[in-house]
Amino acid sequence: MTQQEVILKVENLYKHFPIKKGIIFSKEVGRVHAVDGISFNIYDGETLGLVGESGCGKSTAGRTILQLHRPTSGSVWFQGEDLSKLRGEKLRIQRREMQMIFQDPYASLNPRMTVSQIISEPMEIHNLYAGQAQLRKARVAELLELVGLNPAFASRYPHEFSGGQRQRIGVARALALEPKLIVCDEPISALDVSIQAQVVNLLEDLQEELGLTYLFIAHDLSMVRHISDRVAVMYLGIIVELADRNALYKQPMHPYTKALLSAVPFPDPFVEETRKRIILEGDVPSPVNPPSGCRFRTRCSYAQPICTAEQPEFREVVSGHFVACHFAEQLQNDTPV
Amino acid sequence: MSDLLDVRGLETQFKTREGIVHAVNGISFKVKEGETLGVVGESGCGKTVSMMSLLRLIPSPPGKVAAGEAYFDGKDLLKMDNEQLRHIRGSKISIVFQDPMTSFNPVLTIGKQTAEPFLIHNNVSQEEAKDRAIRYLELVGIPNAAERYNDYPHQFSGGMRQRVMIAMGLICEPRLLIGDEPTTALDVTIQAQIVELVKKLRDDLGMSIIWITHDLGIIAGMVDRVNVMYGGYIIETAPVKGLYSQPQHPYTIGLLGSLPRMDESVDRRLTSIDGLPPTLLEKPHYCPFEPRCVYAVERCRHENPPLMPVDGDEHFSACWVNPRTGKEHK
Ligand SMILES: Nc1ncnc2c1ncn2[C@@H]1O[C@H](COP(=O)(O)OP(=O)(O)O)[C@@H](O)[C@H]1O
Ligand SMILES: Nc1ncnc2c1ncn2[C@@H]1O[C@H](COP(=O)(O)OP(=O)(O)O)[C@@H](O)[C@H]1O
Ligand code: SF4
Ligand SMILES: [Mg+2]
Ligand SMILES: [Mg+2]
Repeated sequence: MTQQEVILKVENLYKHFPIKKGIIFSKEVGRVHAVDGISFNIYDGETLGLVGESGCGKSTAGRTILQLHRPTSGSVWFQGEDLSKLRGEKLRIQRREMQMIFQDPYASLNPRMTVSQIISEPMEIHNLYAGQAQLRKARVAELLELVGLNPAFASRYPHEFSGGQRQRIGVARALALEPKLIVCDEPISALDVSIQAQVVNLLEDLQEELGLTYLFIAHDLSMVRHISDRVAVMYLGIIVELADRNALYKQPMHPYTKALLSAVPFPDPFVEETRKRIILEGDVPSPVNPPSGCRFRTRCSYAQPICTAEQPEFREVVSGHFVACHFAEQLQNDTPV
Repeated sequence: MSDLLDVRGLETQFKTREGIVHAVNGISFKVKEGETLGVVGESGCGKTVSMMSLLRLIPSPPGKVAAGEAYFDGKDLLKMDNEQLRHIRGSKISIVFQDPMTSFNPVLTIGKQTAEPFLIHNNVSQEEAKDRAIRYLELVGIPNAAERYNDYPHQFSGGMRQRVMIAMGLICEPRLLIGDEPTTALDVTIQAQIVELVKKLRDDLGMSIIWITHDLGIIAGMVDRVNVMYGGYIIETAPVKGLYSQPQHPYTIGLLGSLPRMDESVDRRLTSIDGLPPTLLEKPHYCPFEPRCVYAVERCRHENPPLMPVDGDEHFSACWVNPRTGKEHK
């Protein structure tokens, strides 16, 4: 990565979902702290990986950045504007440049629309090629070719395609408006291994060709390492570590990142034979009442009294390497996993 | 080690509107006493159907076990009467499925459901069964098992429910435990907990295991042998180290190449396998992998290769070509 221009800046972003009780006079009885204060930059042309266990807030973060959920508080700066303050037409114009690819290639495509209608829909919404049916058709064909599908398939319906092919259709739709940034929310999790590689290669090729920037959400840490330039690790609504991908995988400084990495199985019996695992006890606590202080303290083997008393700041421990742990410096000197 | 399970020529089909689905096409394999066998392959390749066929759990119609023998401890499971089979299922052989929520009865307590297989298969009192269930729930790491005995499935997290499933699978101390993608839906940290647990229990109880998965990572550290399945066939079988270090079948080579590894230092392009898995609507007279294979030669289009020894007497691959030389085997 040569450019270091910030394309998106997330500042203190919160998204809480109220839990309501009662039918007529519904009363808020609690809140899911789905995203609970995250800050980071995404640089032009990079892939930022976002990992963490299910329920930690990855999808909510992606959706709130794109304003598909409006933030509870905080800002999302994109091309000089705070998206969280924009509404209506102004937001719509900015949103053209930011698209999303979803996890489930079965649920995310309307079964009653043809491939051509699915890919044209965003153009219609944004009045592109209005009244120029031929041009729009040509653009659909071009997009299909770009994602490796036969343009002759344009009149078919989603059920006529395999999972990997449907994900390609989702990618074509996301590319229809020539976005700068694409949030990929677990785009390969539902696919078979050999097909996952097809889609990942496609995303890498398109990035090269079109200069795209990705926020790549996944729970597969090996794939995230493969595709990302930098990686952010989420736990219970916050980012606990963010660093260059080599630094993060070689020298993780947060106890959660360490445990997460050590749990990933290697497809290699010789390595597995001698590997030591950090086995995390128990489950992730509820995001309705996250633990005081450090939210990882209930499962952390390094925890001390200060971890209950004070929430560790998300700080830059070495250049470009951010960690939210009181003991990051000590962990830095630990032997790598 | 003697053979605990010896499956020969197992063949299972389904009648569907599109035609006959050839789900399992005459597969043979063995599991030795105390051995852990991994079964890998992409969705639809016949992993579940082959295990269900052994235990005669295939819904019929539309399904039918068309041929084969499956000797468990010397007796053919496929020829047993229902009474004998019931005695074996759940007591000598137990199976743990992927989705614990649909496998549980939501209105029965966790404790009752854990104790049930032991009650059915043994002449014991409710109290004895309860004590044993609590012991097994503790064994799989359920905290405060005695107190949680009366909780319902929805009060347990996904990881905890999967542990309970394993406790149910183990309570009769089976000689063979079949795990059908039991950790696929779980997060990697919980997956690691369960794999460690199963390895420990296996070593303590000395049982045999068949562990089904589509994830070549997860079994690398836990199995002795691996069967790779494709389109209803076992296309490669080998001791685990031989399979990962010297994969012989182009499909296995492709699968391993499509996995990124965390210890890779250079960025490489993932090798993808082009095309799609077969529909299974015909029983091919050609190699089932031929339409996607980069090594294919003329013979592959006419003759379906059987498993052949490739590397010593433990490593077998169903391929006409030596992928290292690109030439046909002699
Ligand atoms: N629309 C919603 N309403 C209420 N709670 C939600 C909603 N979406 C997500 N959540 C909750 O927010 C938390 C984070 O969810 P999510 O962002 O989907 O996590 P991830 O993508 O990391 O699995 C979870 O506890 C989830 O149940
Ligand atoms: N009840 C059924 N009716 C028709 N086809 C079935 C049925 N059960 C399984 N099959 C087919 O058998 C093949 C093998 O399925 P399965 O063993 O479940 O695959 P997997 O390897 O994913 O476990 C698939 O093509 C599947 O569609
Ligand atoms: S702050 Fe404390 S509890 Fe949190 S991760 Fe660091 S050591 Fe563990
Ligand atoms: Mg999600
Ligand atoms: Mg299956």
